[in-house]
Amino acid sequence: MNKYRLYKLICKNADLKEERHPMLEKNRFMKFLMIFMWLYYAAILLFMGVVMAMGMRNSYNGVAAFHVFDGGLLYLLITDFWVRFILQETPAQQAQPYALLPVRRSFLMNIYLTRSGLAWGNLYWGFLLVPFALIAITIPLGWGATIGWLLGWWLLLVMNGYAYLFCRALILKHMAWLLLPLAIHGALLAIMLVPDKNPLDMPSTLMMYDFLQWKLWPFLLVGALIALLYWANYKLQMGMVHDEVGKKEEKEIKHATQFNFLNRYGKLGEYLKLEVKQRLRNKTVRMSFLAGLSMMVLFSVIMYFSDVYDNNFMRSFICLYNYIVLGMMTLVMIMCYEGNYIDGLMSRRESILQLLTAKYYFNVTLLLIPPIILLPLMIIGKMSIWMNVGYFFFTAGVLYPLLFQMAVYNDNTLPMNTKITSKQGNTAQQIVSIVILFLPIGLEKAATALLGEPWGYVFLAVLGIAGVATHHYWLRNVYTRFMARRYKNMEGFRASRNS
Amino acid sequence: MDIIIKDLKKTFGEKVAVDIPELTIHSGELLGLVGNNGAGKSTLFRLILDLIKADTGTVHMKGTDVEINVAETEVWKDWTGAFVDESFLIDYLTPDEYFQFIARLTDTTDEQLQEFLAQYQHFMADELAGQKKLIRTLSAGNKQKVGIMAAMLLRPKVLILDEPLNFLDPSSQNAIKHLLKKYNEETGATILVSSHNLQHTVDISERIVLLEHGKVIHDIDNKEKQAQDILENYFEIND
Repeated sequence: MNKYRLYKLICKNADLKEERHPMLEKNRFMKFLMIFMWLYYAAILLFMGVVMAMGMRNSYNGVAAFHVFDGGLLYLLITDFWVRFILQETPAQQAQPYALLPVRRSFLMNIYLTRSGLAWGNLYWGFLLVPFALIAITIPLGWGATIGWLLGWWLLLVMNGYAYLFCRALILKHMAWLLLPLAIHGALLAIMLVPDKNPLDMPSTLMMYDFLQWKLWPFLLVGALIALLYWANYKLQMGMVHDEVGKKEEKEIKHATQFNFLNRYGKLGEYLKLEVKQRLRNKTVRMSFLAGLSMMVLFSVIMYFSDVYDNNFMRSFICLYNYIVLGMMTLVMIMCYEGNYIDGLMSRRESILQLLTAKYYFNVTLLLIPPIILLPLMIIGKMSIWMNVGYFFFTAGVLYPLLFQMAVYNDNTLPMNTKITSKQGNTAQQIVSIVILFLPIGLEKAATALLGEPWGYVFLAVLGIAGVATHHYWLRNVYTRFMARRYKNMEGFRASRNS
Repeated sequence: MDIIIKDLKKTFGEKVAVDIPELTIHSGELLGLVGNNGAGKSTLFRLILDLIKADTGTVHMKGTDVEINVAETEVWKDWTGAFVDESFLIDYLTPDEYFQFIARLTDTTDEQLQEFLAQYQHFMADELAGQKKLIRTLSAGNKQKVGIMAAMLLRPKVLILDEPLNFLDPSSQNAIKHLLKKYNEETGATILVSSHNLQHTVDISERIVLLEHGKVIHDIDNKEKQAQDILENYFEIND
């Protein structure tokens, strides 16, 4: 087979992998929902592009809208980088199935790296950039400038994609590498946010302006960085394929902590141990926990040291985020990890009820972390203690019960220990996450507007306490409904296991 | 404990996986289930364990003072042990932790657990107990052993094992044969075992059911090992 035909075949297989994902094959609604969400986010970006072009033109007299937009270049690139964690696979993972076939590994790696660079995903931001450019650049400066500017953005996003792949590969080698992008992005955000004037605004604006004017240097600079990152990825990911093929988890674990203090809780204690060990011993679960914790700290640190989040909405959002994020990251996908051993669980009497109860107690215990992280903000008066009390109970007694409803409907198994995670969670789960992250803020604002500052939060707390007090009832209700749907769910878990 | 199957049918699309009008497995019987790939052995086990929904029909368990439909209650899980595949194992635990987990769920004391493990030390061959290895890092054979032992741990009245001889070395296959036979004699438990190994199945089973396309095509009394010829003939072993 010649190289072109081989290239076509590998590309076709890569596309089929997406199309034939079991979650999509068995669920037309899910397919529809994914397309809907794709269009929904595209529409939002489109809308933002138009609004920003119009708004910036009117608000910043004397400064062209695209200059204002380009000043925020790094914000967009940082956002793009972290969004890729949800959506983009690494070439090493894609190349793995071919690793033992008579196909040159270097050829495969070049295909996948090139595909990553030319991926349609890099053009998705176009929904924001194109309408913005049409209004803010084409009208005053013409088509040449527009194309130069858009091409510059595309090259930056391709570069960002390769930077992501490089970091992702390092993180997969060792979790500690997560600190690299966190440190770089944290430092960049600090440089941009802490001083009164963003010192990176001007260089970003100048570079984009020179793209627009078709000057050679930005193209050469970004092109060189892309080439450098491509080469670095090639070297690193080639080793990764080898690691993946010969992957052998360390035979013995270093610490087999038994958590014997949980023995006093009998059967429930055994399920609590499972919750703890699931997080400690599975890379995917552990990584999402640490990522959530890092974001909590990052938000709080930024709020502590700068005034960028000093507004009512962000104060509420950061408080809510701190309380809900650790629970949400696992509860929105509740039972999906258990899908790996669902038959064993279902062979024990009422084990699902015990498991759900243990999950609830475990997640309520996690709520002791946010007050510690947010304490400095409470001390300096940037966040009220009442807000913390309100969200603490509201999360435990209202948001958790809402998230636990997912146990009835989730029926896709997620891998717990893959070095390289593919998509975590489906679109329905992502929608629930978004609702859980924003709906309570509306309720809080309404309650505090109606009842005043401390009483609004007391109202939230009372709602929460009612939920906590009745947890045995609603947990049993979730369990009963789960059992009523058990055949359908078990079928889904089996179909999506190892996919 | 009797297992009574009535009008049990399960199809996947056009394919009939199980179609059994009537079959009773009597209390204390050690029944071997044989058939080619796709004959419906695993599906039948999953139906008995209420892990998949039957299109029609029921599975009842009947003891001296109780008779229940497995799809309507969970009480039978207290006296039933099973291992069908790896989805029964919590693979981020060590074998010891997994045994302890199952033991505590079934109100087995630590002393009883240790006694049980000591009894099967030979079968475990020093590769499972006391090791700090997670189940997911074990070989397929050792995973199989963990699953079988966990199923037997609560001293079940009904024991269901799907191809327990798979992945096991010859010594372990012999060990499991004797272990099942002994367990059956000592406890009078009803045991259902599927296998592709005809010789071993004939050796241990007092009754053998041969499945084809989900239907029972032979139900053989094997007390005198008379199933050998029928099975060899069916599977064309001597051709």
